Amino acid sequence: MGPFRSIITEAWEKTFILTKFFCFLHVTDTYLINHVMTYGPSMLPAIDLSPTDFLAERISTRFGKLAQGDIVVLRNPQNPRKTVTKRLVGLEGDTITYVSSSENSDMHETVVVPKGHVWVQGDNTYNSNDSRHFGPVPYGLIESKLFWRVWPLEDFGPFWKK
Amino acid sequence: MKFMSHIAQWRSGAKEALDRTAIIAKFLCCLHFTDTYLCSPTHVYGPSMLPTLNIAGDVVLVEHLSPLLGNVGYGDLVLVRSPLNPNRNLTKRIVAMEGDTVTYFDPLHSDSDRIAVVPKGHVWIQGDNVYASRDSRHFGPVPLGLIKGKVFFRCL
Repeated sequence: MGPFRSIITEAWEKTFILTKFFCFLHVTDTYLINHVMTYGPSMLPAIDLSPTDFLAERISTRFGKLAQGDIVVLRNPQNPRKTVTKRLVGLEGDTITYVSSSENSDMHETVVVPKGHVWVQGDNTYNSNDSRHFGPVPYGLIESKLFWRVWPLEDFGPFWKK
Repeated sequence: MKFMSHIAQWRSGAKEALDRTAIIAKFLCCLHFTDTYLCSPTHVYGPSMLPTLNIAGDVVLVEHLSPLLGNVGYGDLVLVRSPLNPNRNLTKRIVAMEGDTVTYFDPLHSDSDRIAVVPKGHVWIQGDNVYASRDSRHFGPVPLGLIKGKVFFRCL
Protein backbone atom coordinates (compact mmCIF):
# COMPACT_ATOMS: atom_id res chain seq x y z
CA MET A 1 0.00 0.00 0.00
CA GLY A 2 2.93 2.30 0.82
CA PRO A 3 4.62 2.61 -2.59
CA PHE A 4 1.27 2.93 -4.34
CA ARG A 5 0.29 5.85 -2.22
CA SER A 6 3.37 7.86 -3.08
CA ILE A 7 3.01 7.01 -6.75
CA ILE A 8 -0.60 8.13 -6.73
CA THR A 9 0.25 11.36 -4.93
CA GLU A 10 3.01 12.11 -7.36
CA ALA A 11 0.79 11.34 -10.37
CA TRP A 12 -1.91 13.58 -8.93
CA GLU A 13 0.51 16.44 -8.42
CA LYS A 14 1.93 16.12 -11.92
CA THR A 15 -1.55 16.09 -13.40
CA PHE A 16 -2.40 19.18 -11.40
CA ILE A 17 0.61 21.05 -12.70
CA LEU A 18 -0.20 19.97 -16.24
CA THR A 19 -3.79 21.14 -15.86
CA LYS A 20 -2.68 24.53 -14.59
CA PHE A 21 -0.32 24.87 -17.50
CA PHE A 22 -3.02 24.01 -20.01
CA CYS A 23 -5.41 26.47 -18.39
CA PHE A 24 -2.82 29.20 -18.72
CA LEU A 25 -2.10 28.22 -22.33
CA HIS A 26 -5.79 28.23 -23.08
CA VAL A 27 -6.37 31.68 -21.61
CA THR A 28 -3.47 33.08 -23.64
CA ASP A 29 -4.87 31.35 -26.69
CA THR A 30 -8.34 32.77 -26.23
CA TYR A 31 -7.50 36.32 -25.30
CA LEU A 32 -4.04 37.14 -26.59
CA ILE A 33 -2.35 35.16 -29.30
CA ASN A 34 -3.30 31.93 -30.95
CA HIS A 35 -1.97 29.77 -33.72
CA VAL A 36 -3.76 29.35 -37.04
CA MET A 37 -3.10 26.92 -39.85
CA THR A 38 -4.43 27.89 -43.26
CA TYR A 39 -4.74 25.94 -46.47
CA GLY A 40 -6.46 26.50 -49.78
CA PRO A 41 -6.08 28.79 -52.78
CA SER A 42 -8.50 31.56 -51.85
CA MET A 43 -5.89 34.03 -50.57
CA LEU A 44 -3.25 33.70 -53.31
CA PRO A 45 -0.81 35.40 -53.73
CA ALA A 46 -0.69 36.67 -50.15
CA ILE A 47 -1.03 33.21 -48.63
CA ASP A 48 0.17 30.11 -50.42
CA LEU A 49 -2.22 27.25 -50.97
CA SER A 50 -0.16 24.66 -49.12
CA PRO A 51 -0.70 24.56 -45.33
CA THR A 52 0.85 27.64 -43.72
CA ASP A 53 1.09 28.45 -40.02
CA PHE A 54 0.41 31.86 -38.58
CA LEU A 55 0.14 33.58 -35.26
CA ALA A 56 -3.04 35.55 -34.86
CA GLU A 57 -3.89 38.08 -32.18
CA ARG A 58 -7.25 38.60 -30.55
CA ILE A 59 -6.78 42.02 -29.00
CA SER A 60 -7.66 44.02 -32.12
CA THR A 61 -10.87 42.10 -32.66
CA ARG A 62 -11.97 42.48 -29.06
CA PHE A 63 -11.49 46.24 -29.07
CA GLY A 64 -12.91 46.76 -32.55
CA LYS A 65 -9.63 48.01 -33.99
CA LEU A 66 -9.87 46.17 -37.28
CA ALA A 67 -9.36 48.08 -40.52
CA GLN A 68 -9.83 47.44 -44.19
CA GLY A 69 -7.08 45.27 -45.59
CA ASP A 70 -6.54 43.17 -42.46
CA ILE A 71 -6.51 39.43 -42.92
CA VAL A 72 -8.85 37.94 -40.34
CA VAL A 73 -9.85 34.50 -39.17
CA LEU A 74 -13.60 34.14 -38.79
CA ARG A 75 -16.04 31.34 -38.12
CA ASN A 76 -17.60 30.06 -41.33
CA PRO A 77 -21.22 31.31 -41.44
CA GLN A 78 -22.23 28.22 -43.34
CA ASN A 79 -20.56 25.72 -41.02
CA PRO A 80 -19.83 26.75 -37.43
CA ARG A 81 -17.24 24.02 -36.98
CA LYS A 82 -14.88 25.53 -39.52
CA THR A 83 -12.98 28.78 -39.67
CA VAL A 84 -12.02 30.71 -42.78
CA THR A 85 -9.25 33.21 -43.38
CA LYS A 86 -10.12 36.15 -45.60
CA ARG A 87 -9.28 39.78 -46.08
CA LEU A 88 -11.51 42.44 -44.55
CA VAL A 89 -12.69 44.50 -47.51
CA GLY A 90 -15.60 46.47 -46.07
CA LEU A 91 -16.72 47.64 -42.65
CA GLU A 92 -20.27 48.55 -41.64
CA GLY A 93 -21.71 51.33 -43.76
CA ASP A 94 -19.38 50.81 -46.71
CA THR A 95 -20.71 50.33 -50.22
CA ILE A 96 -19.19 47.34 -51.96
CA THR A 97 -19.36 46.76 -55.70
CA TYR A 98 -18.42 43.28 -56.80
CA VAL A 99 -18.61 41.10 -59.85
CA SER A 100 -21.44 38.74 -59.13
CA SER A 101 -21.09 36.14 -61.85
CA SER A 102 -18.01 34.09 -62.64
CA GLU A 103 -18.70 33.69 -66.36
CA ASN A 104 -19.85 37.18 -67.23
CA SER A 105 -17.47 39.72 -65.75
CA ASP A 106 -19.70 42.67 -66.57
CA MET A 107 -22.45 41.82 -64.12
CA HIS A 108 -21.86 43.99 -61.07
CA GLU A 109 -23.81 44.13 -57.86
CA THR A 110 -23.65 46.86 -55.27
CA VAL A 111 -24.42 46.26 -51.63
CA VAL A 112 -24.21 48.36 -48.47
CA VAL A 113 -22.72 46.56 -45.50
CA PRO A 114 -25.35 46.65 -42.71
CA LYS A 115 -24.73 47.71 -39.13
CA GLY A 116 -22.70 45.27 -37.10
CA HIS A 117 -21.48 43.39 -40.18
CA VAL A 118 -18.35 43.23 -42.30
CA TRP A 119 -17.57 42.19 -45.87
CA VAL A 120 -14.76 39.69 -46.37
CA GLN A 121 -13.21 38.56 -49.62
CA GLY A 122 -10.40 36.26 -50.60
CA ASP A 123 -7.60 37.84 -52.62
CA ASN A 124 -7.98 35.14 -55.25
CA THR A 125 -11.42 36.15 -56.46
CA TYR A 126 -11.61 33.32 -58.97
CA ASN A 127 -11.47 30.60 -56.34
CA SER A 128 -12.80 31.90 -53.07
CA ASN A 129 -15.99 31.27 -51.14
CA ASP A 130 -16.52 34.57 -49.35
CA SER A 131 -19.02 37.37 -48.77
CA ARG A 132 -19.81 37.45 -52.47
CA HIS A 133 -21.45 34.07 -51.86
CA PHE A 134 -22.60 34.07 -48.25
CA GLY A 135 -23.25 37.78 -47.80
CA PRO A 136 -21.99 40.21 -45.16
CA VAL A 137 -20.80 38.53 -41.99
CA PRO A 138 -21.75 39.68 -38.42
CA TYR A 139 -18.76 41.15 -36.59
CA GLY A 140 -19.29 38.65 -33.76
CA LEU A 141 -17.99 35.84 -35.97
CA ILE A 142 -14.53 37.37 -36.37
CA GLU A 143 -12.08 35.63 -34.09
CA SER A 144 -8.57 36.96 -34.67
CA LYS A 145 -6.26 38.87 -36.97
CA LEU A 146 -3.14 37.38 -38.56
CA PHE A 147 0.06 39.21 -37.79
CA TRP A 148 3.03 36.79 -37.96
CA ARG A 149 3.89 33.95 -40.29
CA VAL A 150 5.55 30.96 -38.62
CA TRP A 151 5.79 28.18 -41.22
CA PRO A 152 7.23 27.61 -43.89
CA LEU A 153 10.43 28.71 -42.23
CA GLU A 154 11.77 30.67 -45.16
CA ASP A 155 8.80 33.02 -44.79
CA PHE A 156 9.06 33.39 -41.01
CA GLY A 157 8.39 36.96 -40.09
CA PRO A 158 5.87 39.76 -39.72
CA PHE A 159 2.75 39.55 -41.81
CA TRP A 160 1.10 42.92 -42.03
CA LYS A 161 0.71 45.48 -44.76
CA LYS A 162 3.35 48.15 -44.85
CA MET B 1 24.18 44.11 8.71
CA LYS B 2 20.74 45.60 9.27
CA PHE B 3 20.57 46.30 5.57
CA MET B 4 21.09 42.61 4.73
CA SER B 5 18.37 41.52 7.15
CA HIS B 6 15.99 44.04 5.60
CA ILE B 7 16.68 42.66 2.16
CA ALA B 8 16.05 39.12 3.41
CA GLN B 9 12.75 40.16 4.95
CA TRP B 10 11.67 41.95 1.82
CA ARG B 11 12.59 38.95 -0.23
CA SER B 12 10.49 36.55 1.85
CA GLY B 13 7.60 39.01 1.84
CA ALA B 14 7.77 39.33 -1.92
CA LYS B 15 7.89 35.56 -2.33
CA GLU B 16 4.82 35.12 -0.18
CA ALA B 17 2.95 37.82 -2.10
CA LEU B 18 3.87 36.14 -5.37
CA ASP B 19 2.66 32.76 -4.11
CA ARG B 20 -0.66 34.19 -2.99
CA THR B 21 -1.09 35.99 -6.32
CA ALA B 22 -0.30 32.78 -8.18
CA ILE B 23 -3.03 30.93 -6.25
CA ILE B 24 -5.55 33.65 -7.03
CA ALA B 25 -4.53 33.67 -10.69
CA LYS B 26 -4.97 29.90 -10.93
CA PHE B 27 -8.38 30.13 -9.28
CA LEU B 28 -9.48 32.82 -11.72
CA CYS B 29 -8.25 30.72 -14.63
CA CYS B 30 -10.35 27.80 -13.41
CA LEU B 31 -13.35 30.05 -12.89
CA HIS B 32 -12.96 31.47 -16.34
CA PHE B 33 -12.74 28.04 -17.88
CA THR B 34 -15.95 26.92 -16.18
CA ASP B 35 -17.64 30.15 -17.09
CA THR B 36 -16.80 29.92 -20.76
CA TYR B 37 -17.21 26.26 -21.50
CA LEU B 38 -19.52 24.77 -18.90
CA CYS B 39 -22.07 26.95 -17.22
CA SER B 40 -22.38 30.63 -16.46
CA PRO B 41 -25.02 32.89 -14.93
CA THR B 42 -26.43 35.75 -16.97
CA HIS B 43 -28.80 38.59 -16.22
CA VAL B 44 -31.39 38.93 -18.96
CA TYR B 45 -33.92 41.73 -19.16
CA GLY B 46 -36.34 43.31 -21.58
CA PRO B 47 -39.84 42.70 -22.88
CA SER B 48 -39.01 40.53 -25.86
CA MET B 49 -39.43 37.16 -24.13
CA LEU B 50 -42.63 37.81 -22.18
CA PRO B 51 -44.28 35.82 -20.65
CA THR B 52 -41.39 33.35 -20.39
CA LEU B 53 -38.89 35.81 -18.93
CA ASN B 54 -39.58 38.89 -16.83
CA ILE B 55 -39.32 42.36 -18.22
CA ALA B 56 -37.48 43.56 -15.14
CA GLY B 57 -34.83 40.90 -15.39
CA ASP B 58 -34.04 37.29 -14.55
CA VAL B 59 -30.86 35.57 -13.55
CA VAL B 60 -30.54 32.44 -15.63
CA LEU B 61 -27.93 29.72 -15.99
CA VAL B 62 -26.56 29.20 -19.47
CA GLU B 63 -24.69 26.09 -20.50
CA HIS B 64 -22.07 26.44 -23.18
CA LEU B 65 -21.51 22.84 -24.21
CA SER B 66 -24.54 22.43 -26.46
CA PRO B 67 -23.63 24.90 -29.22
CA LEU B 68 -20.13 23.41 -29.41
CA LEU B 69 -21.62 19.94 -29.85
CA GLY B 70 -24.22 21.14 -32.32
CA ASN B 71 -26.98 20.22 -29.90
CA VAL B 72 -29.29 23.20 -30.49
CA GLY B 73 -32.75 22.64 -31.88
CA TYR B 74 -36.29 23.86 -32.18
CA GLY B 75 -37.73 25.63 -29.18
CA ASP B 76 -34.40 26.12 -27.41
CA LEU B 77 -33.88 29.33 -25.51
CA VAL B 78 -30.44 30.46 -26.55
CA LEU B 79 -27.97 33.19 -25.71
CA VAL B 80 -26.90 34.75 -28.99
CA ARG B 81 -24.28 37.39 -29.74
CA SER B 82 -26.16 40.19 -31.44
CA PRO B 83 -25.47 40.46 -35.19
CA LEU B 84 -26.07 44.20 -34.96
CA ASN B 85 -23.81 44.92 -32.01
CA PRO B 86 -21.19 42.31 -31.12
CA ASN B 87 -20.87 43.63 -27.58
CA ARG B 88 -24.42 42.67 -26.65
CA ASN B 89 -26.02 39.31 -26.08
CA LEU B 90 -29.62 38.50 -26.87
CA THR B 91 -31.82 35.78 -25.44
CA LYS B 92 -34.28 34.40 -27.98
CA ARG B 93 -35.94 31.16 -28.98
CA ILE B 94 -34.91 29.08 -31.99
CA VAL B 95 -37.93 28.83 -34.25
CA ALA B 96 -36.43 27.32 -37.40
CA MET B 97 -33.24 25.55 -38.42
CA GLU B 98 -31.31 25.50 -41.70
CA GLY B 99 -33.30 24.60 -44.76
CA ASP B 100 -36.69 25.52 -43.29
CA THR B 101 -39.09 28.00 -44.85
CA VAL B 102 -40.27 30.52 -42.27
CA THR B 103 -43.56 32.36 -42.61
CA TYR B 104 -43.42 35.26 -40.22
CA PHE B 105 -45.54 38.18 -39.30
CA ASP B 106 -44.19 41.46 -38.04
CA PRO B 107 -47.23 43.26 -36.60
CA LEU B 108 -45.40 46.56 -36.24
CA HIS B 109 -44.10 46.91 -39.77
CA SER B 110 -46.48 45.25 -42.17
CA ASP B 111 -49.93 43.80 -42.47
CA SER B 112 -49.15 40.59 -44.31
CA ASP B 113 -47.05 37.49 -43.82
CA ARG B 114 -43.55 37.29 -45.23
CA ILE B 115 -41.57 34.24 -46.20
CA ALA B 116 -37.88 33.48 -45.78
CA VAL B 117 -35.71 30.40 -46.25
CA VAL B 118 -33.08 29.74 -43.61
CA PRO B 119 -29.71 29.18 -45.34
CA LYS B 120 -27.11 26.55 -44.47
CA GLY B 121 -25.43 26.99 -41.11
CA HIS B 122 -28.02 29.51 -39.86
CA VAL B 123 -31.02 29.51 -37.52
CA TRP B 124 -34.09 31.71 -37.20
CA ILE B 125 -34.59 33.17 -33.75
CA GLN B 126 -37.63 34.97 -32.43
CA GLY B 127 -38.66 36.41 -29.12
CA ASP B 128 -41.77 34.96 -27.51
CA ASN B 129 -43.33 38.42 -27.40
CA VAL B 130 -43.65 39.15 -31.12
CA TYR B 131 -44.93 42.65 -30.52
CA ALA B 132 -41.82 43.89 -28.70
CA SER B 133 -38.90 41.88 -29.98
CA ARG B 134 -36.09 42.64 -32.40
CA ASP B 135 -35.11 39.31 -33.83
CA SER B 136 -34.63 37.42 -37.09
CA ARG B 137 -37.71 39.12 -38.48
CA HIS B 138 -35.60 42.29 -38.53
CA PHE B 139 -31.99 41.23 -38.91
CA GLY B 140 -32.43 37.95 -40.75
CA PRO B 141 -31.26 34.43 -39.91
CA VAL B 142 -28.32 34.18 -37.55
CA PRO B 143 -25.22 31.97 -38.17
CA LEU B 144 -24.77 29.09 -35.72
CA GLY B 145 -21.34 30.48 -34.84
CA LEU B 146 -23.00 33.35 -32.96
CA ILE B 147 -24.91 31.08 -30.57
CA LYS B 148 -23.05 31.20 -27.29
CA GLY B 149 -25.12 28.96 -25.03
CA LYS B 150 -28.45 27.42 -24.12
CA VAL B 151 -30.52 28.64 -21.18
CA PHE B 152 -31.55 25.76 -18.97
CA PHE B 153 -32.29 27.09 -15.52
CA ARG B 154 -33.81 30.17 -14.00
CA CYS B 155 -32.36 31.15 -10.65
CA LEU B 156 -34.49 34.04 -9.48
